[in-house]
Amino acid sequence: MATLLDIVTTAAILFAVGAGLLIVFGVMKIINFAHGGFLTVGGYSALAVTRLGWNPWFSLAFAFVIGSVCGMIIERLVVRPLYARPLDAILATWGLGIIIGQLITLAFGREVQFVQSPVSGAVELLGSSYSEYRLLLVGIAVILALVLGAVLNATRLGLVTRAVIMNENLARGLGINSGLVRFATFSLGAGLASLAGALITPLSSVDPNMGVPWLVNAFMLVMVSGVSLVSLGVACLVLGGAQVLVSSWGNPILGGLTIVVLAALVLRFRPQGFARD
Amino acid sequence: MTSHSRSCRLAAVVAVSMGLGSNVHAADPIKIGIPVGLSGANSVVAPSVVQSAELAVEEINANGGILGRKVVLEVADDGSGAAGAQKAFDSLIFRKKVDVLISMETSAARNAGLPIVTRGKTPFIYTSFYEGRSCNKYLYVNAWVPDQQVAPIVDYFMKKYSAKTYFLVGSDYAFGRGMLEFTKSYITSKGGKVLGEEYLPMDGTDWTPIISKLKAAKPDALITSTAGGAPNVTLTKQLRAAGITIPYGNLAVDEGTAKSMGIDAEGIYISGSYFTNIASPKNKEFLAAMAKKFGANLKTPNDLSVPQYEGVYAYKAAVEKAGSTEADKVIPALAEVSFEGPRGVIKMNKQRHAPLTMYLGKVKADGGIEVLETFKDVDPGEQCPKLK
Repeated sequence: MATLLDIVTTAAILFAVGAGLLIVFGVMKIINFAHGGFLTVGGYSALAVTRLGWNPWFSLAFAFVIGSVCGMIIERLVVRPLYARPLDAILATWGLGIIIGQLITLAFGREVQFVQSPVSGAVELLGSSYSEYRLLLVGIAVILALVLGAVLNATRLGLVTRAVIMNENLARGLGINSGLVRFATFSLGAGLASLAGALITPLSSVDPNMGVPWLVNAFMLVMVSGVSLVSLGVACLVLGGAQVLVSSWGNPILGGLTIVVLAALVLRFRPQGFARD
Repeated sequence: MTSHSRSCRLAAVVAVSMGLGSNVHAADPIKIGIPVGLSGANSVVAPSVVQSAELAVEEINANGGILGRKVVLEVADDGSGAAGAQKAFDSLIFRKKVDVLISMETSAARNAGLPIVTRGKTPFIYTSFYEGRSCNKYLYVNAWVPDQQVAPIVDYFMKKYSAKTYFLVGSDYAFGRGMLEFTKSYITSKGGKVLGEEYLPMDGTDWTPIISKLKAAKPDALITSTAGGAPNVTLTKQLRAAGITIPYGNLAVDEGTAKSMGIDAEGIYISGSYFTNIASPKNKEFLAAMAKKFGANLKTPNDLSVPQYEGVYAYKAAVEKAGSTEADKVIPALAEVSFEGPRGVIKMNKQRHAPLTMYLGKVKADGGIEVLETFKDVDPGEQCPKLK
């Protein structure tokens, strides 16, 4: 029972971390290697909230806003000039990730620090007690998925975005301002990464390089998910579940490798991954 | 006089003053190198270690330095691990040419640095508690080893809670494994049983699978030995979030880290050679001096930072006894000198390690420690029988 909850909560965390990367990949066809840096920005936004003594719940909204603003600035200055050169854009985002890490070190120091959790303790669930905060994360991930789904499927911006995802040149030919879509998407992706960073910190800690391990896992999950949020959810459950099982029955060190190894195997045998096609 | 003899006189004066000048250069400062984890797992504790060293150096310089020479600190970040330690040790020993290394580090960092210490022939006073049995021609240790630290916790659990079954959790490196190996054999020798032993990499933050296994095993007590600093905090946070309330003995947490854990740390049992509420006059003097020097920036002095203060003074005593900073003379002298510091009289004369007074304590809700039992002058046991 606890293992099942472990799987579901781990999948929720992975989904929250991966959603922003997926959206950026879908629209802009580049992997945003600064995603780890935005995660770190979110973690430190939560730290700032703790330091200022505000309500810990506020850190989620605060992190999202800070992340989006950073995303907007970066899209304008770094990514837009590189539209025509996607490989260079990927390299630029990698460098950006490093710069973000160093700026945070200058501002906050190198040491590991800790953030206040909005809820603490365990709740009784189906016969065993389980961490309340982890269960909360499942709820938040579900809400996130629903909101993103709604935006993509039920709004004009979503429609336009889906058109750009399908075929950017054709969309532009129809008069859609793809530059605006890219701008909005990158900012949203950065905001989501930042939000995810704020979500994961109460469970552990913040340090200037906290985003890097998550980046690797998020990257592999996005690679097997194609462009669909649904297939991302499935990938998170399957690969995240495998990670939990390997960690529980084998050891956590092998567990850390599971997602990467399995993702590579999936892509070898089914190049479109979990996407429908 | 002729211009020839004047220029001779001038040359003689210049030569003599240059000779005098080189004597003045002989009063070079003594450099103490401190490789410490400013980033990574130990970064929670490192600032307190640096503060201890700074106070010791300030006091020593105010009293005339060592052998009339000023003392200077060189701090380098070892990243709390092996890769960073190689860089830090290389830079301190070969570039900055320090006379001695005095510091607290993770066992991974220490083990990576020792070959460099041997190559550089630099004395190294290790001020961190660790898993024991690290032996090197240039190494001295003034902090505790498991032979001094584990028994109080296990004995107390067996006596007070009748704890027969134990679950062990640690960080996956020399310290975590070494401490728990000792603990497991001690528990078994006292008639207890170890139900499970789980490890996470030193920088790992997700203890979820281990906590689930712990709950499934249903032990009477939990004993942990993670790297000092961050892993303690993440593990304790996640344990409390999962509702674990069995007696919890932490072999590797210091008072400073316990304070930063807040309410989650309440009830943890710890065993160490230093707590801030030790009632000796030397400790009170030390705490007052620290408060005066650092004021609001003071990091709680703890079992990982106080040995640093005493280590610097031990070096001073050894250099004064040896009459020089040469490693060949200082190394034997370190076993013969003693220093009375906040932890009492410390002498590293038992196979490079020191007998220490140990305390068993329990963390209170406000982060302070309630001392339950005291053990005077506990012997470190056979640590380096082969070392002369």
